[in-house]
Order: sequence, then C-alpha cells, then structure tokens
Amino acid sequence: MSNQNNSGIIWLIILSILLGVLLSLQMKQNIDDYDLVSLKNIQMMKNEINNIRKEIDDIKELTENKKKELEKLKTVIDDEDEDISELLQDEIDKLKLVSGLEDVQGPGIRIIIDDNKDEAVVGEQINDDIVHDADIQIILNDLRKAGAEAISINGQRVMSRSEIKCGGPIIRVNGRSSAPPFVITAIGDPKLLYAAINAPNTHGWLLREVHKLRVEALMKDNVYVPKYYWAEQDFKYAKPKKEGE
Amino acid sequence: MNDIKSKVAIVLICTILGMILAVQFKTVENTIGSGTITTQRAQQLAIDYKRLQDERDSLRNELDNLEAKLKQYEKGEAEKDVYVENLYRDIEKFRTLAGYEDVQGPGIIIEINDPPAEVVIGGESSIIVDNYDFILQIISVLNATEAEAISINEQRYTSFTEIVPAAGHLEINGVSYGPPFVIKAIGKPDDLENSLRIKHGLIWRMENLLNLDIHIKQEQNIVIPKYRKIKEFRYAKPVEEASN
Repeated sequence: MSNQNNSGIIWLIILSILLGVLLSLQMKQNIDDYDLVSLKNIQMMKNEINNIRKEIDDIKELTENKKKELEKLKTVIDDEDEDISELLQDEIDKLKLVSGLEDVQGPGIRIIIDDNKDEAVVGEQINDDIVHDADIQIILNDLRKAGAEAISINGQRVMSRSEIKCGGPIIRVNGRSSAPPFVITAIGDPKLLYAAINAPNTHGWLLREVHKLRVEALMKDNVYVPKYYWAEQDFKYAKPKKEGE
Repeated sequence: MNDIKSKVAIVLICTILGMILAVQFKTVENTIGSGTITTQRAQQLAIDYKRLQDERDSLRNELDNLEAKLKQYEKGEAEKDVYVENLYRDIEKFRTLAGYEDVQGPGIIIEINDPPAEVVIGGESSIIVDNYDFILQIISVLNATEAEAISINEQRYTSFTEIVPAAGHLEINGVSYGPPFVIKAIGKPDDLENSLRIKHGLIWRMENLLNLDIHIKQEQNIVIPKYRKIKEFRYAKPVEEASN
C-alpha cells in the first residue's frame, strides 16, 4: 500500500516538472514574438512608408515637369523661328532664384538673438550665457523644417555652402564675421516660422526660457533677404558627373 | 481514507493552477495586444514597404532617363552656337550650386556609427540621432573648409535640407535613415579631414564625449547625387529692380 502510494507521488513529481518545462518554453516563445513587433516598430514602419509615398509623389511631379520641358525643347529646336537661348535664359533665371543668387522678398519673420546681458551668470559656466554657432545651426535647421525659403544672418544669405562658425567673440557666416546681436531673417509662412522658434521645447524656446538669452521673433508682412555673394563663380573640385559612369 | 483525501487535494490544486494560468495568459494578451494580429500587420507593412521601394526605384530610373535625354538635346544645341554653349555652361554651374546635378570629385567620406552595443545605456534610442546637432556642426566645418558639395546618406545637402530626428531615425530631405550616417563632401581632401581633426575639435569631442565610432577616409572620386525634390518658392519673390 505504502509502496504504491510512493510510486504515485513520483509520477506526480515527474509530470509536474514536465508541465513546468513546457509552460516556460511556451511563454518564452510568445515573449520573443511580441518583442519582434513592438508598437514602436510598427509606428516607425508606417512613418517610413508615408515618407516613401511622399517621395514617390515628388518624383512623379518632377517627371511630369521634365516631360513638359522636353516637349518644349523639342518644339523650339524644330521650329526655326524660335530661339533656344530664350528658353535657356528662363532656366537660368529660375535656377538663380532657387540657388540663392537673387535678392528676394516676401512674408516671413525676423529673429533677434543676443547673449544674456545680466550680471548674474545663469548657468554653471559663462558659456551657457553666450550664443554659440551650434545654437544658430539648430535654429536654422528648425526654420528649414518649418519651410523657410530664404534665410539670412546679419545680411549674409545662408546657403547650403554657408558655414556658421564660432571665432572667439564673433560668428563667421560666408567668410564674414559678425558680432551679436544676431538678426536672422527668414521668408516663408510667418506663423509656421514663428512656431518653430517659440513653441515649447523648440531650441529657440530653450535658449530663451532656460539659458535666458534674448530671443525675439517678429512676424513681418515683407522682409528682404539679400543674394548670396558668390565670389569665385566656379567649382574647383566638384564636376558634373559624366554620362555612363 | 487518506488516499481519497490526498486525491481530492490534488484535483483542487490542479484546478486552481489551471485558472491561474488562464488568467495569466489573458493578462499578457491584454497588455501587449494580440500577438498573431500584430505579426501579420507588421508583415503586411513590410511587404508594402518593399513594394513602394521598388516603385520608387523604377520611377527614379525613368526620371534619370528623361533627364539624360533632355541633357542630350541641350548639349546638341549647345555645340552649334557659342552663345548657347555659354548659356548651357551657366546652367550646369547653377544646377551644381543648387544641387540639381550629380557631381563627382575628390573629397572625404565620414562614417558615423553609434557606440558598440555594450556602451549604450537604454533601449532603442541612438546617440548620434539624439545629438544630431553634431551633424549640423560637421557640415558647418566642411563648409568653412570650402566643401563644394555635401551629402548625408545619399541625400544632397541643399539650402533647404532639414534634419529631423524621429524615433531613432533622422529624416533628411523627408527620407528616414537610421545609423550609420555617411557624410560625403567634395573639396580638398587634406584640408577637409584636417579641419575636422584639429586637436580637441569636433571629431575628438564626438569620439571621446559621446563614444561614437567615426571613420574618415579620403577618396579621389566621390559621387554625390542630386536633390530630387521640386523647390518652388511660394513666399519668396525676386526683388524688382525698379522698386529699389
């Protein structure tokens, strides 16, 4: 009797262990599965799909434009009376405008950024009270995000090739030095641009509220942004890519 | 008697175990969400993504062909007339400046990667994405050293290029990229590299303060792609000469 009871208990123990192992295996598998497709991953994927859709739309529009251009070019070439140079001149004017070689005006904002002039030092270091090149770069990036079409700092047009570099007390833009206060002028949708500087947690807000720098933004109906002064008018290193390479 | 008692006890315990297990599985499912559906959804998204990528590539090809044709026509005309040829040269120059032209030349390639996994504290965030302002600073240094064309992960850096951090990725010209980030610049290779590498300069700070993994190499022929977006000014208008 006691012998039979014992073997029953042994069986029970073996089965319990088996159950435990099986359960833990099952759980492990499930958790792995969940891990692979976290909500964040899906969100990111969706984001990327949206971006790629936008890109496709852009390319389609660009293709349409180019097709029209090609048609026009063909008719001009076939037609003896018309002059191709006019067409090319139009293209040059358009390129000059987009590449920043023309003075432009339009609605936008004007931002004034200056060092913290108070006697007391707010941050732990005096560095926190000064406008840095990195601050200006982030603000410019924020403005581009908000769709700025033309930007200048203290009268210097900001281009893809413009450097914003600290040099002691001054900041260099396009090879020219300027001292604070920095006046940034941007053309675009004034409300969007204003939000890019003033909305909570933007870099402009951070500079004003945390570092107590002077950051003032003014929406304007009409601002003026000068053209980029392109001294050399040529490229030393960058050449158009040759066909078939 | 003793036997029956212990058997009842085992039955009771087994029932309780079963209930607890069922409750546990239910809660897990409720908190994380139904597993099978999410996996399916993710797969669907991945398929969509792949399809869209293919579509984009084929459209891009079409566009490239069209542009090549257009160029041929323009070049053909340019050869007939010196004046037209000069105009065409100007167009090429302005296109290069605005970023609407593939360019090639000597320069440097900078590859920035997150620190090796052990050093990273926290989950999916990426150090270089969180500190994307360093990328802006690199571009500024490159520009100060007279780089003539710059791209980040095959996106041309233009006057309108914005860099937006979003969930471990950076959106550049509206296209998302995760690390590593590859910055290419055309210019004088020695100058470009040296200005980045000055003592306690930008690269030093990125390597030593942020533990980033950075490689710079000089090359004699770097190809930088063109900007593939339409930029038309809606607000900015040219200043009329007469009004001045």
